[in-house]
Order: sequence, then structure tokens, then C-alpha cells
Amino acid sequence: MAIKDPELQHLQDSSAFADEVSEGRLVTEQMLLNVGPQHPATHGVFRLLATIDGERIVRAEPVVGYMHRGYEKLVEQRDYRQITNLISRMDWLSGINNELPLALALEKLMEIEVPPRAQYLRVALAEMNRILNHLMFFQSFAAELGAITPTFYAFREREDIQYAMESVTGGRMHFGFFRPGGLKEDVPKGFIAMALASIRKVIERLPDYEDLLTGNEIFKQRTINIGLLEKEVAYAYGVSGPIGRGSDIDMDVRRDEPYLVYDEFDFDVCTAPHGDCFDRFWVLLHEIIESAKIVEQALEALPPGPILGKVPRVVEAPKGEVYIRTENPLGELGFYLVSDGGKRPYRIKIRTPSFSNVSALPHVLRDTLVADMIAILGSFFFVLGDVDR
Amino acid sequence: MDIDLTAWQILIVKLLIILTVVPVGALIGGYVLHKEMAHMQHRLGPMYAGGWHGWAQTLADGIKFAYKEDIIPASADRRVFSMAPAVIFVPVLLLFLVIPIDRTLIIEDLDVGLFYLLAIGSVGAIGVLMAGWSSANKYALIGALRSAGQLIAYELPIVLSAAAVAMLAGSLSLVTIVEAQDWPFILWPPGIGLALFMLFILGAMAEMSLPPFDMPVAESELITGPFTEYTGMRFIFGFFFAETAHMIAFAGIGTTLFLGGYKPIVPWGPLEVIPGIIWFFVKTAFMIFLLLWIRFSFPRLREDQLQKFAWKFLIPLSLALILATGAWILYGPGG
Amino acid sequence: MVRDRLTAEDALDRVTGALGERVVEARLNHGQVDLVVEADHLVEVVTILRDDIALRCRFFTFLSAIDRSTYNFDDGGGAGEDKKEKKVGTIEVLVHLYSPEKVFHVNIHVLLDFEKPVCPSITGVFVGAEWHEREAAEMFGIGFPGHPNLVELYLSEDFEGHPLLKSFKLPARSFVKDWPGAKDPDEAAAGGR
Repeated sequence: MAIKDPELQHLQDSSAFADEVSEGRLVTEQMLLNVGPQHPATHGVFRLLATIDGERIVRAEPVVGYMHRGYEKLVEQRDYRQITNLISRMDWLSGINNELPLALALEKLMEIEVPPRAQYLRVALAEMNRILNHLMFFQSFAAELGAITPTFYAFREREDIQYAMESVTGGRMHFGFFRPGGLKEDVPKGFIAMALASIRKVIERLPDYEDLLTGNEIFKQRTINIGLLEKEVAYAYGVSGPIGRGSDIDMDVRRDEPYLVYDEFDFDVCTAPHGDCFDRFWVLLHEIIESAKIVEQALEALPPGPILGKVPRVVEAPKGEVYIRTENPLGELGFYLVSDGGKRPYRIKIRTPSFSNVSALPHVLRDTLVADMIAILGSFFFVLGDVDR
Repeated sequence: MDIDLTAWQILIVKLLIILTVVPVGALIGGYVLHKEMAHMQHRLGPMYAGGWHGWAQTLADGIKFAYKEDIIPASADRRVFSMAPAVIFVPVLLLFLVIPIDRTLIIEDLDVGLFYLLAIGSVGAIGVLMAGWSSANKYALIGALRSAGQLIAYELPIVLSAAAVAMLAGSLSLVTIVEAQDWPFILWPPGIGLALFMLFILGAMAEMSLPPFDMPVAESELITGPFTEYTGMRFIFGFFFAETAHMIAFAGIGTTLFLGGYKPIVPWGPLEVIPGIIWFFVKTAFMIFLLLWIRFSFPRLREDQLQKFAWKFLIPLSLALILATGAWILYGPGG
Repeated sequence: MVRDRLTAEDALDRVTGALGERVVEARLNHGQVDLVVEADHLVEVVTILRDDIALRCRFFTFLSAIDRSTYNFDDGGGAGEDKKEKKVGTIEVLVHLYSPEKVFHVNIHVLLDFEKPVCPSITGVFVGAEWHEREAAEMFGIGFPGHPNLVELYLSEDFEGHPLLKSFKLPARSFVKDWPGAKDPDEAAAGGR
């Protein structure tokens, strides 16, 4: 086929035209779009190399490591007290949940018994942090889709809970509160009333938030059947947490292998069958309700007593290895602790939930639209500190 | 009051009116936007600039932008890049020429006022394409292409609903259209009036790239879409001013076409004493409030969903409404 | 999901039954099954663990490595007597699998030669191992033949060395220089920086 129009003769030589001619159809060029590392939609310094054809993503490859701080090397040089303060900075939205597996691992190796009051308080604080985390992702997902208003409602609710946690631990985001054997100190007077009031306010307002978003037709169009993650694929990647449960994976460490005193509380594990963005979001919202139930039960049944078990002055774990996992708000957080009997760990393999979740992104992002990519990134609740460690 | 002015002097007066009123209106509109958004989000909004509840916030923003360095990206097309904000802003200014604030207060009472409005309103699409393409930025390009598609698609509901109004009023001159309206404004003809009003609002929101139709400037994806590379005065004129002034213009047009312009809400004796200008401003303020309210409440539609909504729903609906309006005129009580 | 919880001992029996000769050693460690496997059998072992109906370890938890070159294996350490000699001075690839239905964990230790650690890739069995193996490769210098895309995950291309090896000293902790300025207010007043 030759170009007849004399004005366009110069196009005859271009390679795009040659492809067009040889394949007999119109060839569009694919564009390499670099999403990040600075981009409002990627929570943090996360880079996605997307090859797009018009508005359709042909292939998306995440590039991580912009925030790699070398946690697994750092913890080998520090003793266990220092590590407790260091590791809340991994998944910074679930501060106190990060310290939990370390404390549990040490208690298992050293065979320390934790008094019940400390157990109950640990559960209450961990679940309050879970609510904080879920509210944060609730607003960030909505904001990425364009609904800017839920941000302020979510932060208003978070304020009260953070105030309650600050009164106990002194921190709003990084706590450094859990010790092997219990807690750093007891809760102040009035904490229980304050915590319960803040939780109840969240529960009271949650149906409004649900209506505002999940009932909204535009929201549903943007999230239903978008970003499908099949169950078997999720198992193969090790996807856990609200994202896994949104893909019909019925796994929750708190129910399957209860740690602390979770077996004494009555709560449901929410799952959703389809594995799209809407389901993950739905699971997130309903987990807030379940966490609030747990906090209420824990604080109302709080037994009196000491808050620290018998721990030697210098924390030295005996030789051994153990893998302890807990249900971090974002998924399964596990510590494989290898101890050679000293004050410092020999090796801790930190198995973070967001790392496994994000590794499933290339699979989910094939053949989606650019605007859907934003919705999917928003629904894949991950924190860069967790991905990069 | 009879003042004898030559044609040139009248022209200069009219230009001055537009060039002062519109930017001031945009400043006030921007302030209203900040405050309304804040109060709906459980915040206070601007409080400090200027003393009392931050009234000078937008003015301070404008002055700040004037101080910014004028950066043009190295690989951008300089001439097109510089011209694009003008191509977007000037048509918006020209929209204000034919909006009647009162029976005799209109800059230029064109006989084809409505036609002029719709024609001028669609020039902005070129400006957006120019801005996005010349920026040498892939995100800007994506935003510009989305915007072009969106603006073309949503022209039709606006044009068709305005055409239906013109049919009902029997003229394209905006003053005549206002005079032809009577209480109860958008509820008459029953059903048709309200549907036309809704069509107009949806089309207007898409024309101005307001959420839920703000895919082209999706902040969390494309930063500012076609205007990502713009700074300083170009950004203010091409983006912020244009958007706010456009919103005021469309609010004014909506008031004129559907809400009765400068007529009192109810033709009740005591209310008719209030001058038409006040009524116009009250109704325009209500329209602005409505547009902003919808803006803050909804997530944004994806581009292909937006297009489907326009082509498969709004345009057939507007065509059907034209038919219905025609039927009403021929067979309805108006004669 | 129909959950058919196994006790730790049952899990150990089933695993050893299904794997037979392929494991070098199998025992329980704090309620989890611990296996030591040769590198050549790793892919087979992982496939059986995943597909066997009595086991169904479908959930891929993590794959990592441990540099045991300076581990002090005296007086116990949880391993059997003769096995700790094997582990000394090795790099070990650690694979952790979990069975959501039977609720038990399996730790697979693959002992590799310290000088040239090479372990077959299990990305054919668990797709999710891709990123984990990339990280282990760059942190420990382990080769994973069969991996589709073994490039750096975290570190930049020009990074020298393998950080998580015991031989890699963190600069902040190795050549600690004296603080060049004043160490207390008196020194500062006297003219130090």
C-alpha cells in the first residue's frame, strides 16, 4: 500500500507506517508511563513502570526499595529493647501491632508468663490501632477516587482514638509500649471510659460513611469488578489481611491460632467472595466494627493485677528459633527469630504483609485502565515501610 | 439617566466593567469555594488572611502567584504553551457579555445571545488541548485527551437543553428568554423543565471539569492534568480563574435560562420591590452553592463511564426532551 | 472453609509420610514442622506439600535465608546433635509454608554451600516466591537458577556486596570515628564546634 496524497508522502518512510503496512492494521505505539516515585496516588515512594497503550495498561512492574532501611541488618546490631522502638516504624499506621510479634516471640523462647491484665490491655490497644489503620485506608481510598470529603470525617474519628492511646503510651503513631512479659506501665485513670467513648463514636458514625461511599453509584461503578484477585493466585503470593479476605480467603490469625487472649472474645471474620476493589473495601469497613466489638469486650472484662510478668533485668533469649505471626491490620506479620543466646538476635526475618500483597500487583494490574490502576493501588492497602523494610 | 457617550467610550466602559467585575467575582467565588468546602468537611477554611474569617485569602493567593517564577519546560512548545491559558480564559470573559443582570443591565443584548453563549463556550476545548500537548509531559497529555473527549461529549446536553428553552421562549435573546419565564420557573412545563435543568447542570459540571466529571484534572492521578506544567500567572489565569469564572458564568446562565434571571421568585407584591439585580445574585449564589455541593460529595467517574453516560444516556434523553418540548408547544396549554 | 485442624504431631506424621526419603531431617519446633531438605529435592518437596490432599500447604508465607556462619551451636540450639555440625558455616534458605485448611506450618531449611550458594527456584510452584528470591539473592548472594527475572529488588545496581551476610559490616558500626566537634557544653564554650 502506497500513500497517494502528495502532502503525506514523507510518512512513507516512518517505522510506524511500515508496521502498519506489514501487519495490515493500524499500529499504536505503547507508552512507558512512570508512576512515581513521587505521585499522590501511590502511598509513599513507590514506583510503577506501566506500559500503556492509550488508556489500557499492558504491563505494570513495581519498583520498590526507595525506602529500604535495612531493618533485618539493623536489628542484628541492637538489643531487644532497642528493637521494640525501632520496628514500629515499619508499618507506621499500625504502630503498636508491629511490636507485638517480637514480644510474643521472646515470651515463647524465654517461657515468660504474661499476666492477664497485660494480655487484655494488649488486645485493646492492638485493636484500637487496627481501627486507626482502617480509618486511614478508608479515607485514602476514597480520596484517590475523588471523594475528598471522607478524609476529614475519618481524621476526626481518629483524633479521639489517638488521644486515648496517647494518654496511655505517650505516642500517637509510634508507641514503644509492649515489653516481653507485658506492658511498660499501667493505664491511667479514665482511660477505659475515654477509649470506649471514642470507639462508640466511630461505630455510631460508620453507617453514614458506608452509605456515603458504598451506596454511591459512582463509587460502585469505579470499584465493582475492578482489580480482580483470584483466590488461588492470592494463596500463591501469600496475600493476607483485608485484601486476602476480600478474595474469599478465610484466614485470620486471631481466630485460627489465637495469641494473647483472642480466644476469649466473640468476633466474626469478614470475607467477601469476589476479590474486586469493592469487596476489599467492604471487608475493611466491616473489620472496624469487629475490632470495636473486641475492644469493648476487652475493656469491659479487664481484670486487675500486675502488668508485667517475671522478666529478668537483661532480656536474653535462649538459643532457638521460632516463627511467631500476628494479625497486623494489613495482614499477617511474622517474625522468624533466630536467637543464639545473647542480648541481640542472631537473625530476625521480618515477614511483612505489604511485601507479599504488593508482589501480587503485576498480576492484578494486567489489562486494566489507567484510572482503574489508581483505584486498585488504593484498594491494595499497603504501607511503604512494610514493603521496603 | 442619559449620558451621551460616543461608541468608543461605551466600548471602553463595557470592557472595563467586564475586566473588573469578572476577576473580582472570581476572587469572591474562590473564597466561597474554600469556605463551603471547609464547612462541609467539618473544618473552618481560611481564617487568617485579611483578618475577619480570611476574606482576603484568594486575593493573597493571586498576589502570591504573580510573584512566581515563570517556568516553561525545556522541551515544551513555547508559543503554544504561552498562548493556551489565554485561549481558555478569554472565552470565559466573553461569556459575561450577554448575561442579563436586570432588565436593562446587560453588556450587550444580542439577538442571538444564546447561540453566542454556546458557541463561545466551546472554544475552551482547544485551549485545553493546546496546554496538554505543548507541555511535553505524558500526564498532561493524558489529561488533555480526556478533557477533549469530555468537552465534546457534554456540549450536546447543554446545547440541546438550551435549545429546548429557546423553543419554549421563542427567541435566542437572553432578555426575551427571561421575560418569557414565569413562576414556577423550572417546574413548568411539568417534568420537562426539571429534566432540562438537570441536563444543564450535568453538562455544565462536565464542561467545567468539576467532580464528578473531573477525570481530566484528577488530582490524585494526573496532578492537575493539562495544567501540570504551568506556574505563576499562567496557571492562575488558565486554571483557577478560568474555572471559577466559568462556574460563575454557568451559574448565571443557568439562572437566566431556568430560574427566571432577575425576576422575583414568586410574583408577590412586596417581593417585586426588591430590584432585579438582587434576585439575580441570590439565584446565582444558589446555583453556585448547588454546583459546589455536588462537587464535594462524589467520587469521580472514570473516563469511559463518563463518555458512556453522555452518549448513551444524556444525549438520547435530551433529544427526547426536545421532542417533548415541541409537542408541548404545539399541543400544550401554552398554545 | 472447612477446617480440619491437625495437631502438631499429626502434621509431622503426615508430612514425613508424604515426603519420605526426600527430607534429611524432620522434627517439631514450638508446634511447627521443621524440615531439613537437600537443595535438589526442594522443588519436589514444595510441590508435594502444596498438592497433597492431606497437607494442602497452599499459602506461601515467605522465603528467606540465614547466614549461619557465626552461629554458636554449642549446648543445644534446638537442632539434633549431629545436624548442628552440618549447619555450621552454611547459608540456609528458609521456606515457610502454611496450610489454611489443616492449620499447620512447615519450615523448610535448605542448607547450601557457603562459598557458592545455589538453590533452585520455586517460582514454578509458588509465583509469589519471585520477589522473595530476588531479595534473598541480593542480600546473601544466593543464585536461583530457574528464576524468571533475578534483578535487584531493593538495592541499586551499583551496590557492592551482600548486606545480610555476617561478613558485611555496617559502616555506622565498624569504623566509628570520634565525634569531631565538642562533646559537652564546656568544650563548646572553649572553642570546639
